[in-house]
Parts: sequence; C-alpha cells; structure tokens
Amino acid sequence: MDNLLEVRGLKTHFATDRGLFRAVDGISFSVPRGRTVGLVGESGCGKSVTSLSVMGLVPSPPGKVEAEAVLFGNRDVLRLSADERRKLRGGKMSMIFQEPMTSLNPVHTVGQQIVEAILAHSAMTPRAARARAIEMLELVRIPSAAQRIDDFPHNMSGGMRQRVMIAMALSCEPALLIADEPTTALDVTIQAQILDLLSDLQRRLGMAILIITHDLGVIAEVADQVLVMYAGRIVESADVNDLFADPQHPYTIGLLGSIPRIDVDRKRLATIEGTVPSPNNQPAGCRFAPRCPFADQRCRLDPPPLRDIAPGHQVACWKAPVEMAS
Amino acid sequence: MSSMPSNAPVLQVNGLVKHFAVTRGLIRRKVIGLVRAVEDVSFEIARGETLALVGESGCGKSTTGRLILRLMDPTAGSVRFKGKEIADLDKDSLRRMRRYMQIIFQDPYASLNPRMTVGEILAEPLRVHEIGDDASREARGRELLEIVGLLPEHARRYPHQFSGGQRQRIGIARALAANPELIVCDEPVSALDVSIQAQIVNLLQNLQQRFGLSYLFIAHDLAVVKHISDRVAVMYLGKLVEIADKKSLYDRPLHPYTQALLAAIPKPDPTLRTKRVMLQGDVPSPFRPPTGCRFHTRCPHAQARCSAEEPALREAAPGHRVACHFFETLPAPTILARAGLAKGKFAQRLAAFEAAKAARTPA
Repeated sequence: MDNLLEVRGLKTHFATDRGLFRAVDGISFSVPRGRTVGLVGESGCGKSVTSLSVMGLVPSPPGKVEAEAVLFGNRDVLRLSADERRKLRGGKMSMIFQEPMTSLNPVHTVGQQIVEAILAHSAMTPRAARARAIEMLELVRIPSAAQRIDDFPHNMSGGMRQRVMIAMALSCEPALLIADEPTTALDVTIQAQILDLLSDLQRRLGMAILIITHDLGVIAEVADQVLVMYAGRIVESADVNDLFADPQHPYTIGLLGSIPRIDVDRKRLATIEGTVPSPNNQPAGCRFAPRCPFADQRCRLDPPPLRDIAPGHQVACWKAPVEMAS
Repeated sequence: MSSMPSNAPVLQVNGLVKHFAVTRGLIRRKVIGLVRAVEDVSFEIARGETLALVGESGCGKSTTGRLILRLMDPTAGSVRFKGKEIADLDKDSLRRMRRYMQIIFQDPYASLNPRMTVGEILAEPLRVHEIGDDASREARGRELLEIVGLLPEHARRYPHQFSGGQRQRIGIARALAANPELIVCDEPVSALDVSIQAQIVNLLQNLQQRFGLSYLFIAHDLAVVKHISDRVAVMYLGKLVEIADKKSLYDRPLHPYTQALLAAIPKPDPTLRTKRVMLQGDVPSPFRPPTGCRFHTRCPHAQARCSAEEPALREAAPGHRVACHFFETLPAPTILARAGLAKGKFAQRLAAFEAAKAARTPA
C-alpha cells in the first residue's frame, strides 16, 4: 500500500535530573494515504511524544529525537532544515490537540487565527484568506460561520472550539492530520459529533489521520488500523477488526477486558494488576512482564521483537497466541 | 439514629433547588440573573444501594452531591439523612453527621494535602470526630491501607510518592476512616487510565459489600455507571429527566436524552460501527434555559407542546419515572446490539488471562 508516513526506529529520549527518560524507544509504523491509523495506550506510554516527534515539536534540549527515517511522502523530515520543517507543519502535516481552549490564542478572534494559518502557508490575499476561513468554518458545521468568525475563543463552547481547531488544521489541505486525544475533553454527545465530522471530512478531503487516544471505544469507531503502545514500545499492530476480535498481546487482552461497556453484561471488570513501569527504570525484557500473568523467565530477560502472527497482524510477545492451559 | 428500620432509605432528597446569583459591577454589585444549577430534584437511596447520577458537564450533578453533604446551602428543598433533615442542623450537629456521610473526589492529586503523610491524612477524620487516641488512629490507618489494597508501610509516605490510582485508593481509605454509611463518589474514576479505573471500580464494589455502604455515584460515563449502579438518575440542565433501575434504563430508555446519551457512547467493537442519529448542537446555558422542556432545542422528537409546557416526572412503570410529554408514543430506539465479541477468540483469551492471573495470585 502507498504509505504517506513511514516511521522507522523512532527513539525519543529526554535527559532529566533523574536520568534518561526513554519516552519512545524504537518504534516503527506507517500511515497509508487516506486511511486512519489509531495509536492507543495509557498515560505515559509515549503516544503523544510519538506524535510530537513526527511533527517536530519535541523541545530540544531536553528532548532528543532519533530515527533511521521518518519519511513523509518521500522526504525524510528529520533531515529537513528548521525552515522547511515549519513550512510542512500546519501545511501538509497538521495537528489538533486535546484542549482546544489552551491551543487557541484568547486575545485574537478565531477568524484572525485561521487567517494567520492560511497566510503562513499560501500566497492568498488577506481578503481571500478570510473567505477561505469562513468556508472552513462552514465545512466544520459551525452555524452562521460568517458571524462566528469574529468571535473570541471564550465565546464558544468546547465542542465549537474543537471545530475551530479542526478548521484551522484543515485550512491548508493537509495530507496528514494528527489528532491527539481530539475528543477527550468533550462531553459524549459532542464527542460523537466531532468523530462523525472527522470521518466525513476524511471522506471528502482524502487526508490520512493518525489519531492518538486512550479510548478503545474511539478507536473502534474511527480507525482502520491500530497500534497499541505500552511503555514506549508498540506491542501490537493490527487491522481494527482483528485487534478487537482476535487480540494477541496480553496487555491488549487485559485492556479490552477492563473497559466498562454497555453492550456486554459482565459482573466484574478484568483488571491488569500493578502499574506502568517508570520510564527511567524499565524492565530489561518485555516491559509488560511484571504485570503479565503469562510471563516467564525468558519474558523477564529478553525483549520480544514485533513479529508477524497473522497476515497484517504483529505482536511483540513470546507467549502469543495465549490460549487456555489444557 | 439507630432506631430507623433497616429498609428505610438512607437518603431522601426532595425538591432540591440551587440557584446561583449572577452579579455585575465591581462596587455596586447587582444581581442580573440566576443560574438554575439544580431545579426540583428528588430521589432516594436505600441502604447498601448505589444510585448513579449521570449527565454532561454543567447538568448540576456535582452541585447536587455537594448540596447533599451541605458543602453548600440549598436554595430550597429538603435532604434527609436517615430521616433527619440536614438543612436544619447547626454547625456542631452537622459536623457530627458528616462522620456518616463522606465524599470521594474526582482529582486524587488535588484532594490530598501534599504536606501530610498518608498516615496523617487517614488519622485526620478520626481526630476531627474525636475517635480513639493517637495509637488506635495509627493502627486504624494501617488497617485502612490494607483494606484499599495498599501496604501498611505506605502510611509514612507523602501523596506525591503515589500514582494516580494509588492516590484514589488513599482518598477512598480516608472516606472510610470513620465508618460512614453513605459515600458521595464524585467522578471517582474519570481521571484514571482504563486499567486502573477497573481496579478502582472493583474496589468500590468490594467495599460496598463488605461494609454495607450506600453510594451516590456521580459520573458522566454511562458505561462505568452500568457496572456499578443499582439505579440510575439522568440529569439535563439541572433537572432529572429519567430515573429507573439499571436494567430498565439500559434496556428500555424512555427519555430521548437518555437514548441519545446511550447512542453516543463509542462502543469498543468495530463491528457495531454504524451511522447513528446524533444530537445536534450544544447544551444551552443554564443561565437562560429553554422554556418548556429544557431538552426541546436538541430533541429529535420535539413538538409544539414541548417548548410551551414543562413536562412533569411521570411514572412509566413502577420505579421508572420520565419527564417527557410523549414518551408513550415515541418510536422505540434501536436496541443496542449485543456484541458478538462477548464470544469468540477475545472471550477465550480473556478467560485465559483471568485464569493465569488467578493461578498466580495466592488466594
């Protein structure tokens, strides 16, 4: 398949007083053109740092981003100059964040902010840019866009602000949209509206989406392919239907079992014992081994590589497939 | 207080109202309007029961929880704890009463004093209520830590040395310290990761069985609520729109808002991905709530009567009350598909996961 983004051996480390934080520790994945890839994991697994590394937004120092390659189209973005990188960002590669209030500037109208983004990446006149901004606000279904464009962010609800962020991110027709927890701060009825909007826009504009979330429900709604991250590494990668029907990694299995859901009656939730290891003190072998009920000596000493277990389905586990002991 | 029969409700809330004045002007403050945060809310909680109070941001669910503990004074209405009206209590009696009514907050980071050790945090409620001496309070603290799944030696540590899930366990231990009967759980798991959330939900269920606690479980997440509650009350813009036992509410939601909330939850099953009917627009401001039924501006079934006349909370079945003029004639919502994933490989692997875990943990 034609990959828009290809990440090979990405490592992002942070130098801190307490030692080296290996936030992302050697991950490889790709995002095909026009598709949605979901990156799922819990707090501190490195999913947001992955997206910031791809965008070139990791502050250095203390951060250090290394990779064999991060290919966008056919260019290695890690080898671009700062200026070329900036042109790419917000242009062909765009990002929306969790908290739309803190990502919008409170002293400018939303219109000024969208226009600024358009002018930074195109040769449009300010008048044409404003018309384009109104068009974008209509696209993200903001009612009476021609009036609302002169509102300040604080005049808008959380859902509206996230729509404005999406309008801004899409104003330069990106080929890749990175959405980092785009609906986490929103109420569930508004979340449904935003997810629906993103899918609809993808169908119409054809961009690829890398969506980062902790919510497997959101993944099931929008993603085509899924990457499960744990403690800085990808532990499982699969087509969305395979991941939910045929999960292979014990972490994925436990995570799916611990979600409270309205479509299944279950007396007790499954739990994964213990907590995520600290990033400056990772276990030597498989990082999930201390919490894994299947782990043995080999798991504790030897980190498992990501290997094919079925067509298009990879897992980093020595024990997979785990089945009931006979 | 122990003279109450055991089947009497622990908590009775009747016609609870809370209005906040909105003022303008720095020197001469003028009241320019009221935010009607809670409007005529009534419910009961039985002994050992969990009532969930659900709704979206700004629906008044947390305010209701605070009014029940009288952390703020209601504008009108009555709250009776074991038959006793708490609105009439003076400061001292209120403090004595609070021993039996506790709260667990959403944010385990903000609700523990960073300068106190965990031992001191757990001893404080006992000190306030003058229970025991220093030695017995310390022993109780160690016991509480074990009850919530921490270690006795954790008593010497400070809150920042714990993870979010562990801090929430400390918050729960503190609430349990003086043997309460009712605990208001205000979004106790919404700040936690899924795997940790499951641990805390299971812990709350265990504690309820062990100590016969009643919970008012305030949450926005209907999926978590389905796991923990016996009955569910749904709020919208300060009003109760539906209250029912759990099974009725999830199997046969009658209010269009409840139906929409259930439909909006993302289901962790890609085979259920369907184009669904969605609520349009945002929640209106509680400063100027819509006339008539407050939900009519977003309701897919709204008719002329809905904007003119406020619907009463009517009984649809025993214990199932709905505030909608037309619930009898509304089309039945698409029944939530039962997931096929409950069977198949995922279910087998989950069973293997649980079995392997059970084999490792000494009983």
